[in-house]
Amino acid sequence: MSFLTMLQVMGNGMIKSIGIFLWTLLLSLPLGLLIAVIRQKKLPVITQIIKIYISLMRGTPLMLQLLVVFFGPFYLFKIRLSDGYRFIAVLIAFVLNYAAYFAEIYRSGIESMPIGQYEAATVLGYSKTQTFLKIILPQVIKRIFPALTNEIITLVKDTSLAFSIAYVEMFTVAKQIAAKETTMLPFVIAGVFYYVFNFLVAFVSERIEKKMDYYR
Amino acid sequence: MKKIWALLLAAILAFSFAGCGTEKETKQDTEDNTKTESETTEFKVGFDAEYPPYGYMDDDGSYTGFDLELAAAVCDYWGWEIKYVPIDWDSKDNELTSGMIDCIWSGFTINGREDDYTWSDPYVENSQVVVVAEDSGIDDLSGLAGKTVAVQADSAALSLLQDEEGQKELADTFGDLREFGDYNTAFAELMAGTVDAVAMDIGVAKYQLQSRGEGYKMLDEYLNEEQYGIGFRKGDTELRDSVQEAIDSLKKDGTFDQLAEKYDISDLVISE
Amino acid sequence: MNILNIEHISKSFDDLCVLKDISFSVSEGEIVSIIGPSGSGKSTLLRCATMLEYVDKGTISYMGQPMCRMGSDGKPVYVKGREEKEMRSRYGLVFQNFNLFPHFSVLKNIMDAPVKVQKRSTEEVRKQAYELLEKMGLKDKADAYPCQLSGGQQQRVSIARALAMQPKILFFDEPTSALDPELTIEILKVIRQLAAEKMTMVIVTHEMNFAKEVSHKMIFMDKGVIVEETTPEELFRSDNERTKRFLGQYALR
Repeated sequence: MSFLTMLQVMGNGMIKSIGIFLWTLLLSLPLGLLIAVIRQKKLPVITQIIKIYISLMRGTPLMLQLLVVFFGPFYLFKIRLSDGYRFIAVLIAFVLNYAAYFAEIYRSGIESMPIGQYEAATVLGYSKTQTFLKIILPQVIKRIFPALTNEIITLVKDTSLAFSIAYVEMFTVAKQIAAKETTMLPFVIAGVFYYVFNFLVAFVSERIEKKMDYYR
Repeated sequence: MKKIWALLLAAILAFSFAGCGTEKETKQDTEDNTKTESETTEFKVGFDAEYPPYGYMDDDGSYTGFDLELAAAVCDYWGWEIKYVPIDWDSKDNELTSGMIDCIWSGFTINGREDDYTWSDPYVENSQVVVVAEDSGIDDLSGLAGKTVAVQADSAALSLLQDEEGQKELADTFGDLREFGDYNTAFAELMAGTVDAVAMDIGVAKYQLQSRGEGYKMLDEYLNEEQYGIGFRKGDTELRDSVQEAIDSLKKDGTFDQLAEKYDISDLVISE
Repeated sequence: MNILNIEHISKSFDDLCVLKDISFSVSEGEIVSIIGPSGSGKSTLLRCATMLEYVDKGTISYMGQPMCRMGSDGKPVYVKGREEKEMRSRYGLVFQNFNLFPHFSVLKNIMDAPVKVQKRSTEEVRKQAYELLEKMGLKDKADAYPCQLSGGQQQRVSIARALAMQPKILFFDEPTSALDPELTIEILKVIRQLAAEKMTMVIVTHEMNFAKEVSHKMIFMDKGVIVEETTPEELFRSDNERTKRFLGQYALR
């Protein structure tokens, strides 16, 4: 296999990896926020459910969660699933897992906000929703941004777990080429791919952080 | 610039979902067909894509190999649509049981797994062999005493070396029996000297020795004799019989032998 | 008509009774100072008056309209929805720690609530905001962010922010306690200026001389009750033991 073909084939795999990455971010960032906000309401039963959910997601490996989401419907309910479900299952597992981590990060940010910000907003007549969206959330995002970036970079590398349910992303392609060519070169390319991708993520994140740098 | 980025991201988002959308459509087609035709209009072949020469990625990035081409010929025979599903080898049973694949066709050793699957007739005479570095001074199995031997996790070689009725007695003489994930790692360790020998299927050994060139040798003494078959879901005899009928016919018309020659395993296949 | 009427309010946190049967009123243009040792309930009183805390008992009304009245079960019933929103725009509160929104510019801090909460026209609010900034001596700081300002400047912005809502009454909760003496002077100057404009104000403060000079009425609170409520002159001549002891501490300094 020529080096160029190798790059091209792995590039196709990379698009799949980026697909997992983008969809997971797009869905888990809002879901995590929603979970964190609901938890703030301190409703006993729901808080307990959320706590169990977060503890399960953090306490078990993502690979196991992938297997459960993918094979669970069959083993539990005897539902026959189509091959298209592979990607859906990857997304469900990744989104649920990452939303749990994001929810905790949001919570840390929300709880670090001084009570005075809420009080000032209340006295000025802002509704609860306005207070959260206009006053609290922008400041929370600034506070939690470094932690979010960390988690997002981990996500890039975690995409390779998708192959445990036979979703062939970039790293799997690399392994397959390596087996065929009996060489380590594809792993070097994979490393470069991941590094460049994460470099971009870090670059974008730094730009955003700079943009929020105008206040303390 | 921002717009270009946004477009690019949107395209990737759409692309990743479009891919699974079309798969869904074909699935729906097959579901419609199941009502009128047999269940195997689409024949989903589960295989390990890191297992040349039986199943691997070709020079152009598509999947190929002796097993896959044979499977494709079977599909041609029946007019089925073939679907290659490269699986995580550790999940092969889940994939098969849940119906995500119809068979495991991947240089799959029958011996030791006789009761776990509904098997086709054996089609490859396989042996487990041991590969060592050329200058290691190891010439036969007894030379492995006290040495570190590597073997792929969940492989036939491993179960053979752990089986009381197999080669456990020999394995007990090893200094250490170490499991690894893929052959690249194993050969890298062999080269580095962190392991002294690697046990594997003879077909795989030949491919590895050929593509890696000098520096390794295969011991003349084999660990065992065993056979490859195609593993179907337990009880799925109908599908097994259809596939078997096609293979028998391919053996008669010479296609089978041609494929064996193409992949340089003529001395291993069972043509009769 | 009284701007604010507070009648028989009580407030406890768990078992701790912080306000016991407090009543007082503020008429239009009147300046009332509330003094007393820490823990006497002064801040809680302001927080109850501004719906940051809800009272356990009693009634509060602004300009004759109840913000909270006694329900048939003896529990206070608060206004809700649009009425609540309308009620909140009748008063403003200036915090000890300013509580400016750090991610908003000075101008946006002042303009956002009038535009987004009161739905007034941006143009009108902008004009008013610049007038307020001018009055506070901060006209060149409109585009600055709170973190770029001194404490005194921040507190002046927060006063402007409260005034932009066009309240009928302005509460100050120890507005100078977080400031150096020289910055304190800036704030006191602004409050004097507002007094000259007949702004109705209730000020919780430890600045005794200032309170004496600017207020029409002074309230001395201790342990959750109003000990004395009278003119500054009367208060500083009071025979009450507790009052004398409290004011004495300041005279010594």
